[in-house]
Amino acid sequence: MARSPLILVALICLIPIVCHSFSPESPTSRRILVLVDDLAIKSSHSLYFKSLSSRGYDLDFKLADDPKISLQRYGQYLYDGLVLFCPTVDHFGGSIDQASILDFVDSGHDLIIVADVQSSDLIREIAIECGADFDEDPAAMVIDHINYANPENEGDHTMIASDNFVKSDVILGSAKIEAPVLFQGIGHSLNPANSLVFKVLSASPAAYSANPKAKLSNPPALSGSDISLVSVMQARNNARILICGSLSMFSNRLFRSEVQKARDSTRLEKSGNEQFLNEISKWVFHERGHLKAINVRHHKSGEEDEPAVYRINDDLEYSVEIYEWTGTSWEPYVADDVQVQFFMMSPYVLKTLSSNGKGLYSTTFKVPDVYGVFQFKVEYEKLGYTTLSLSKQIPVRPFRHNEYERFITAAYPYYGAAFSMMAGFFLFSFLHLYNK
Amino acid sequence: MVRSTGDDVLALFHSLRSAYAATPKNLKIIDLYVAFAVSTALIQVVYMAMVGSFPFNSFLSGVLSCVGTAVLAVCLRIQVNKENKEFKDLPPERAYADFILCNLVLHLVIMNFLG
Repeated sequence: MARSPLILVALICLIPIVCHSFSPESPTSRRILVLVDDLAIKSSHSLYFKSLSSRGYDLDFKLADDPKISLQRYGQYLYDGLVLFCPTVDHFGGSIDQASILDFVDSGHDLIIVADVQSSDLIREIAIECGADFDEDPAAMVIDHINYANPENEGDHTMIASDNFVKSDVILGSAKIEAPVLFQGIGHSLNPANSLVFKVLSASPAAYSANPKAKLSNPPALSGSDISLVSVMQARNNARILICGSLSMFSNRLFRSEVQKARDSTRLEKSGNEQFLNEISKWVFHERGHLKAINVRHHKSGEEDEPAVYRINDDLEYSVEIYEWTGTSWEPYVADDVQVQFFMMSPYVLKTLSSNGKGLYSTTFKVPDVYGVFQFKVEYEKLGYTTLSLSKQIPVRPFRHNEYERFITAAYPYYGAAFSMMAGFFLFSFLHLYNK
Repeated sequence: MVRSTGDDVLALFHSLRSAYAATPKNLKIIDLYVAFAVSTALIQVVYMAMVGSFPFNSFLSGVLSCVGTAVLAVCLRIQVNKENKEFKDLPPERAYADFILCNLVLHLVIMNFLG
């Protein structure tokens, strides 16, 4: 009888080893909290959720005002990612609020936030913190009289078909998205001073944001390509946030719908929504574009171990290994634009590292003719990839007095002068003694 | 004044030359030696102005050897000159021995500093 609690305690101690969650060694999120306004979304958007769970995510559906929800307990986060499919929530239940969601992102976790027509101020404020300003009028929708979809039921042109994608294979996948993406919701603009957020799907130059039911009394505040339909932010701690203005974009109805742009006669069987959203979800949850750099090594050409000090005009080799996470494993990252700087207040040497195809990047260069304390800096910021910021300090010393060449060519006249003086003195001493 | 400054300079130069011709031969040898040392120093300074002062210690050593040689030779000339009342009682051998010794020390220092 005394043994069973002991066995129970032993089993409980094994649990932390068994659960494999977010860790630097496997950056893909596993447990995702999905907050919805209405549990019917679980079935009306089932295709999207099925694609997520088929890739190994544990989705936890909760109502947004459920009083028992919380992101963390006793200081540890219960989830690795958060999906907010609740555009009309006024007040989250439980211990979640705007500050706790922003702390969640600050600690490196990913977020998908979706607003729609009549979205609440709370969702709007969270989006502003992430860099996206939704239109102030909550009833405004994006209207496009030239690129609306499905022209046979005219409607008010709020269902638009857009194919202004960002050019990035890492965010949208290498397969081209053939069909335009259907969108029906509100648009947002991005602050141009914010360098971390960028548009993934933008509206065409003919679009504008206005209330479709009211008469337009003054020119719309948001118009043209400034309107972003879907944007993405990668924070400095590499947390990724997806901001979208249409909840119906994720629905089964639009996934399966045919699409035809108004001025185009081609009718495509399936919209690009499913491919677009699946690929971008892969990116947001770190299945693509997540880099790590390990094994920074440098040494003098010809030697193997890392010296503590370099001398000016030495030849040195620098190498680093960079891997990319594919969702299941680390694969070597191949690119031709990784650069290393030999930096002291400004880069004295800037060289592009050459890759050997297996993730090892290396280069050789000569230490400049300046002494001081330098740093090997790799600052890699490519659109869609996590930022790599490596720096390793190394001092550089001048020549020791016995490292100069023995007879300096520039000083030969001085050597000549000194010896000629000696010869002159020798000659003169004889002349002085023996002249009459 | 019919005579111009050019004529004056020429007259001065001629009188200097004729006065100098009267100096004894050993003093003239010393004067030649001093001129050789000073001209070598000037050549080195011009070279440094052109090329830059990279091994500065070598430059200083070269110039110091020329200047030191010139100074010691001038001292020898003063002490050996029979017209000089101050050194009337100094035997010329003593002056010569001082000259040799000082030159030896000078060249030792030069060789050390030449680098």
